[in-house]
Amino acid sequence: MRPASIEEAQQAVAQLAGARKRLFIVGGGTQLGLGAPAQFDERLETAGLNRIVEYAPSDQVVTVEAGVTLAALQKELAGNGQRLSLDPPLPERATLGGIIAANSFGPLRTRFGSVRDLIIGVSIVRADGARAKGGGKVVKTVAGFDLPKLMCGSLGTLGLIVTATFRVHPIPVAHATLIAHGVRTADVFPLVRTIRTAQLEPAAMLAMRRARGSWDVAVRFEGFEAGVTQQREKLRALASVEPAEWPQEAPSGALRLKVAALPTELEKVEAALPFAQSLSWLPTLGIGFAGAAAPNAADTAGAVDAARRSIQVVVEAAPFPLDPWGAPTAALRLHRAVKERFDPDNLLAPGRFVGGI
Amino acid sequence: MDPEIIARFSAAVGEKNCIREPEQLRTYESDGLASFRATPGIVVLPASTEEVSACVKIAREAGMPIVARGAGTGLSGGALPVAGCLLMGMARMKRVLQVDLDNAFMRVQPGVINLDVSKLIGPQGWYYAPDPSSQSVCTIGGNVAENSGGAHCLKYGFTVNHVLGVRIVLGDGAVIDLGGPVPDQPGYDLTGVVVGSEGMLGIVTEVVLRVLRKPEATRTFFATFPSTTEAGKAVSAIISSGIVPAAIEMMDRLAIVAAKAATGVDWPDVGAALLMDVDGPLAECEHTSASAIELARKCGSLEIRVPRDAAERELMWKGRKSAFAAVGRIARNYIVQDGVIPRSAIARVLEEIAQLTARAGLRVANVFHAGDGNLHPLVLFDARVPGEEKLAEELAGQILRTCLRYGGSITGEHGVGADKAQYMPEMFSENDLETMGRLRCAFDPEARFNPGKMFPTPRLCGDKEQSRT
Repeated sequence: MRPASIEEAQQAVAQLAGARKRLFIVGGGTQLGLGAPAQFDERLETAGLNRIVEYAPSDQVVTVEAGVTLAALQKELAGNGQRLSLDPPLPERATLGGIIAANSFGPLRTRFGSVRDLIIGVSIVRADGARAKGGGKVVKTVAGFDLPKLMCGSLGTLGLIVTATFRVHPIPVAHATLIAHGVRTADVFPLVRTIRTAQLEPAAMLAMRRARGSWDVAVRFEGFEAGVTQQREKLRALASVEPAEWPQEAPSGALRLKVAALPTELEKVEAALPFAQSLSWLPTLGIGFAGAAAPNAADTAGAVDAARRSIQVVVEAAPFPLDPWGAPTAALRLHRAVKERFDPDNLLAPGRFVGGI
Repeated sequence: MDPEIIARFSAAVGEKNCIREPEQLRTYESDGLASFRATPGIVVLPASTEEVSACVKIAREAGMPIVARGAGTGLSGGALPVAGCLLMGMARMKRVLQVDLDNAFMRVQPGVINLDVSKLIGPQGWYYAPDPSSQSVCTIGGNVAENSGGAHCLKYGFTVNHVLGVRIVLGDGAVIDLGGPVPDQPGYDLTGVVVGSEGMLGIVTEVVLRVLRKPEATRTFFATFPSTTEAGKAVSAIISSGIVPAAIEMMDRLAIVAAKAATGVDWPDVGAALLMDVDGPLAECEHTSASAIELARKCGSLEIRVPRDAAERELMWKGRKSAFAAVGRIARNYIVQDGVIPRSAIARVLEEIAQLTARAGLRVANVFHAGDGNLHPLVLFDARVPGEEKLAEELAGQILRTCLRYGGSITGEHGVGADKAQYMPEMFSENDLETMGRLRCAFDPEARFNPGKMFPTPRLCGDKEQSRT
């Protein structure tokens, strides 16, 4: 089903809840591989919830319906010289509701954080069909429990996100990208250290593996002309870098993994993923994406399990069922308790989330 | 209280860390919001997660509510005891457990003082960004409970943007780690839920903080204006130009008078003043501060002052940060509010506040975070004058309602606590509050932690089977 308005969506969820039908929510469909396969009776697409509800450029705040794509929102914001400082893959398809639910991000996370750091309000339709909201429409509010953060990364298991409010930023006047080529794995983090010591403030930093043990590291500066120029020249004096366009990086292979460790542990990450064909890494944050061919289920599961002994691995897509999350921590009891309170009948994407939630 | 229960607390934390004397209990009767008072049954000062857990279990068996307290500087009554409760003072848990600057995090106990974090790593050129005005005394644990902000959260965000993980003791004494220095742990963002939960989900006993490399340069200026209207226009012009100031603070005439009386800053008597910081790489900073000064002039600034050195800059900020206390110099009593409005509405809302104030026959000093529209109206009154306190409370309430009418919030950084629980239904629907209550029930089904705060009416979690019917 594809409701054309929030009211229709709410009615649909309420009716499904009354009939105890299980529901799977889809935004742009860019992250459907994330999580375990869910059991469901109905699929609800948010594409019809495509209105920009309220945009106050002078307050740098925008409220959108969940089905608005990132590209559509950016176009609207650009008309006022602003942007949402979030750059996940596939902006033409990815919706804001989906980006929240899947916690999608790109290299701008280096400076601006992830969706949790930019969302300021949310309204949802609960599993039982009731509407509820949290946060607010101003950039700063601490009233009530933080429902917007709870929704980030919740994968449609706690409620249907219907609108969200974000803080937006001015589009920088100037930007520049520099790339260091052929950086050895052990030298990627020292480049971060060099940048920090020089008090440079990149908006984005991305390491891309070109061959085993060899990386290209892209650094993007944003701001006003004077600051960008100064930072670019300073980095050129400190490291072997060349001007470039910001790279468009996509993982290769049928198996896609999101991996994480401490920023200083890149060598450990590379060693844990001997099967990876592609590997990219946000070196200030300690998070990256790997792509690999996956010849058969048993070997792949074994390789992923082995990697999990030293680093954090989430399977984002695989050609066959794999444990997407790895062994749960002691916090599982709280994740379960939250799910039981928000969706006591277990109707929203049952089985998709951590620990079989 | 049952002597056997007292003996058990005493065994858990040591006799000298159990406070029972009525004289000493009085210290804990209120936090920074002194108009609310209640006496705890007992105060314990645990030194470790294990001791916190042991005390939680004892309190549970004794059926006692539990209230945690950091430095007690909160302004919403978040650390206000429940009469007869177990009050857990976190002041002894003040160890820094780990410093890892390469990986940009620190692990600290909740009793560590906010400013001490930055002091510790300052020599290496690092700092912790959230800077509530009380930062020289308030604790990280209290900051986590209230999701504290500060002048510089305009650019850098609040406590929640700088906490990577917490260790929390739940109502049954279980110890759970949420998040940590490695990003995006699978599961719900429960760290984000715990930060700002006003001590109602459990007791946080360790915090993983994100710390930042200091910016290369900071440029500060102080600009005076004939009135808050021109100052408000300057704020809008600066932000619309694409500059993201580190901080941009506004003070009105009364607040300036108070700051002068308290700190000796030589500010002129004017209708309004802005204090602004930009920081970042040197050339960026020079450019943005020059542009901002130009815009302030265009918007009618009377005078621009640029501090000559770090000492002068510090004095300017001292004038701003001590504003609440300073108001004590010009009024016997005052109420601090914390409402938020869209930035573009500042001039209109200040005008409405002025009208409401005149109608009430009182005085209001305004000193606030103009960049994010977080007002701090200080409603001045004299409690010795019969009826004046009530008038002041009514005026404070009218101001909050004005903020809500403009699409804002009842609190930007102080928290709801005991103080603003009554206004929650004006900002949120019954469904909204019931949904938030579900989070509380998931963490703390017995409502043991800090009951009576945030929500206007106590909520029962009930049996899960019942909620299915």
